[in-house]
Amino acid sequence: MLDLLLVHPVSANDWISFDIPSLIQNFWSATFDGLTFGAIYGLIAVGYTLVYGVLNLINFAHSEVFIVGAYAVVLVLSALGFGPSVPTLPLSSIILDLVLALIIAMLASAATAFVLERVAYRPLRKRNAPRLVFLITAIGASFAIQYTIFLVRGANAEPAVTMFQAQPVFDVFGTIINSQQIIIVIAAVILMILTDQFIRRTRVGRGIRAVAQDPDTATLMGVNKERIIIITFIVGGILAGAAALFYVMLVPSGVQYNGGFVLGVKAFAAAVLGGIGNVRGALLGGLLLGIIGNYGQILLGDSQWTDVVAFVILVLVLLVKPTGILGTSLGRSRA
Amino acid sequence: MTLLELKNVSVSYGRIEAIHDMSFSVEEGEIVSLIGANGAGKSTTMKTISGLLNPSRGSLTFDGQEITKMKAHIRVVKGISQAPEGRGIFPGMTVMENLDMGAFGRKDRSGMSADFERVFTLFPRLAERKTQIGGTMSGGEQQMLAIGRALMSAPRLLLLDEPSMGLAPQFIKQIFTIITEINQQGTTILLVEQNANQALARAHRAFVLETGTITHSGTGKELLANPAIKEAYLGVG
Ligand SMILES: Nc1ncnc2c1ncn2[C@@H]1O[C@H](COP(=O)(O)OP(=O)(O)OP(=O)(O)O)[C@@H](O)[C@H]1O
Ligand SMILES: [Mg+2]
Repeated sequence: MLDLLLVHPVSANDWISFDIPSLIQNFWSATFDGLTFGAIYGLIAVGYTLVYGVLNLINFAHSEVFIVGAYAVVLVLSALGFGPSVPTLPLSSIILDLVLALIIAMLASAATAFVLERVAYRPLRKRNAPRLVFLITAIGASFAIQYTIFLVRGANAEPAVTMFQAQPVFDVFGTIINSQQIIIVIAAVILMILTDQFIRRTRVGRGIRAVAQDPDTATLMGVNKERIIIITFIVGGILAGAAALFYVMLVPSGVQYNGGFVLGVKAFAAAVLGGIGNVRGALLGGLLLGIIGNYGQILLGDSQWTDVVAFVILVLVLLVKPTGILGTSLGRSRA
Repeated sequence: MTLLELKNVSVSYGRIEAIHDMSFSVEEGEIVSLIGANGAGKSTTMKTISGLLNPSRGSLTFDGQEITKMKAHIRVVKGISQAPEGRGIFPGMTVMENLDMGAFGRKDRSGMSADFERVFTLFPRLAERKTQIGGTMSGGEQQMLAIGRALMSAPRLLLLDEPSMGLAPQFIKQIFTIITEINQQGTTILLVEQNANQALARAHRAFVLETGTITHSGTGKELLANPAIKEAYLGVG
């Protein structure tokens, strides 16, 4: 498929070429960096996947649910004295501050998701609005939140907040894995396992699965559909808030009013890649998209290709398996 | 004692009125059958009683309490349980999980395990297939599961919307025997059926629904003997 591009060089300096030695040389660092970013995509992807599962709605404003969390992280940490340079606080107080920022980010994102559902989507459900109206409302809500942030915080990125210096922890095939990467991947996996177990094992989780499979019958079983819907928005918001903390950890100066868009698109792609409606799929899709995007970037020698490669892979997977890798099965008790 | 009463109920889908000014009641302990042709409004009536649809006019009373505006998920807790048309099995859940869903609004553990026993005694097939995925069950098995699941909320009024749909003749007989058994155990039943023969034979009382209006009512035996009904619904001319 990609070979086709090779036979049509545009100029003497091929505008596209494959730097295979570089990929081999940087393979492991690309893998670990990709996993780290992929874990963040995965956390955001859960929000898309859960809401799609219960409402069949692509909640375009979920990227803004995420970015509100990122603002919360920056504002809380700035208020606590964090800034562009590495903080000199003792480790224990850094951990405490980060946990506080995490909790506030989760609350901020969850609150945004809650308000979004109550103000934008619920009135439409009451009126039995057609599918397209929901979609347009979602896009409108996304812009509305972006420009609200723009009005309050301006167009510029927030000043950087460095949480801590990434420390080398161990060495895998000559590549250093640092403390940030380990924290992010482990925390993301734990959060995803908790979410997955919540949906599979708890009563509310059973309600979520029932509404996803058949909303009317779920109601006949005594499930309060409106309550289930708001809970899925809140759960998605909580995970997006966690993703926001990890994102700022990796990219301290990456918080801008429209900064959710690209991550949101990738997280959505991750959800589709793994199988939309499927929590495990969201994590798998996120990790794969993170890794593959990085390989593509190195192979093609330019960071602009990251997203293109990721989406080419997405399209190829969907051609072979339209329901994504793990299938669309929020409902399934066993994958 | 009157368990369910509909008074002058009309139900519309947008501008189309599917039920016109309908009134009837179900006494505690009865089997009441509602028969009628396709599109007569049988499922619409059932959904209005279970709360999936709201009437545009009229009122509903259950156990002496007005429930016209009560939300569907609360009606389940009050004792109204519907096995929907087309069974509505959660396809990705196991038999056990489907039955668990039936008891979603309950907290009394001991009562629930007694009801599991009851369901497994009525439908031994379900006991054998506890871990099978609902969507892979046969049509008849899914119907058993749908009825068993509806019983798991320990209803006082069980709404069955075409339980015999798509079943083989010997199976239809079995399902109706089980329905009678459930009734004899003390559950009031409102039954919607195309299979008018069985539905009328099993019912204490019955109504005939034609394009949203009740046109005949009486005991099951009376309607079975009525020549007009024989011709229209019993395939005898
Ligand atoms: N969601 C809907 N929107 C619009 N019209 C509807 C809807 N559901 C049912 N109807 C109409 O209401 C009328 C009654 O439908 P209902 O499903 O109650 O019939 P029924 O007696 O259960 O028929 P069947 O024996 O085929 O199940 C029909 O004319 C049907 O087309
Ligand atoms: Mg019907």
